[in-house]
Amino acid sequence: MSDYWLNKLFFDLQQPELGAQYKKDRNSVLARYPLSAELRRAVIADDLPVLAPHVNAYLLRFYFAIVGVKDDEFIRRLNELPAKPETKEKAPSHG
Amino acid sequence: MAKLVGVFAASHGPMIAREWDALSPPTRSLVEQGFAQVGHRLMMSRPDVLIIVSPDHWCNFFLNNFPAFCVGVGEEHDGPPEPFLKSRFNHPVLAGHAGLGRHIMDTALARDFDPSMSQRLTLDHGFCLPLWRMGIDPIPPIVPIVINEVDPPMPTMRRCLAWGSLLKTAIESYPENLRVAVLATGGLSHFIGEPKMGQIDEKFDRTCIELFEYGDPAKIASTLEHDVQHTGNGGHEVRNWVVAHAAAGNKGFELIGYAPLEEIYVGCAFAEWRVPA
Repeated sequence: MSDYWLNKLFFDLQQPELGAQYKKDRNSVLARYPLSAELRRAVIADDLPVLAPHVNAYLLRFYFAIVGVKDDEFIRRLNELPAKPETKEKAPSHG
Repeated sequence: MAKLVGVFAASHGPMIAREWDALSPPTRSLVEQGFAQVGHRLMMSRPDVLIIVSPDHWCNFFLNNFPAFCVGVGEEHDGPPEPFLKSRFNHPVLAGHAGLGRHIMDTALARDFDPSMSQRLTLDHGFCLPLWRMGIDPIPPIVPIVINEVDPPMPTMRRCLAWGSLLKTAIESYPENLRVAVLATGGLSHFIGEPKMGQIDEKFDRTCIELFEYGDPAKIASTLEHDVQHTGNGGHEVRNWVVAHAAAGNKGFELIGYAPLEEIYVGCAFAEWRVPA
């Protein structure tokens, strides 16, 4: 399930100043976001398998680029994840 | 009255800018030629205004306020925030066309379509990367239109067709003697931050191309509504192509080029729709 504050953290880290601060001191930035203990630990550890189900995939990609993980390594880690489950068909919600 | 003079589409993968200097010669050549052809055709249509349809890649909107459709109605918009693009595309501010933007809003509201509006959008690579590669100079005033294609729920394909038809109506009813072109960007298949990142869903891409060549809007809506649920997240950007298709009157398009370019993570395609003279 998508986690609002995890998405917000990764969204906000696109700001260069905050991204730079985060790279120097993750805890001071993380203190502003009410993440669960599990997600906070996963963020500190850049634990992609734990983070991925809880955040928009674009923001996940931005985050790992911001913290300096090269694309080859990011893709290698993504490739180790299980494929996303087939999405069930949804009736159009509006016309 | 204003006149619709051209409808085009081009992929916008950010790797094109991030890695431009390091791309392999074949990839670089395919991308270069595709954008050059679209750019040439676009400029031959001599637009006074350019409507660009793209998603917002988490620059303007977040989950606390995420419109399905947003029309840029301002006199100015901000250029790309991405460092990899603003170093190549030196346009901190881009002119908007407030008059046409407002007319699109008014036309929409009068027809029970209720988009969001923005007096000033930040135009990320979805808008600016094609402008950079096409080398359009001067860039005509822009009416940016954002569609949510990055986080569900997203507008249906049927709604995107309706939005394209509405754009056509709005353009043709604008009381100034303006030449208006439409550029849809993004797609075709790509997987961003997903387990298949770097792979291309060529089957999805070929289906899209066949659908747009053939032109039947009902088939486009039903097929793509299904198929986007079974490809990468970037495939949702085909909604912009659906909008373009309807804006051009559902007459079908001419494919200018397509290549499944794993090097830039995108099924890269370029097209021009048949627009009645």
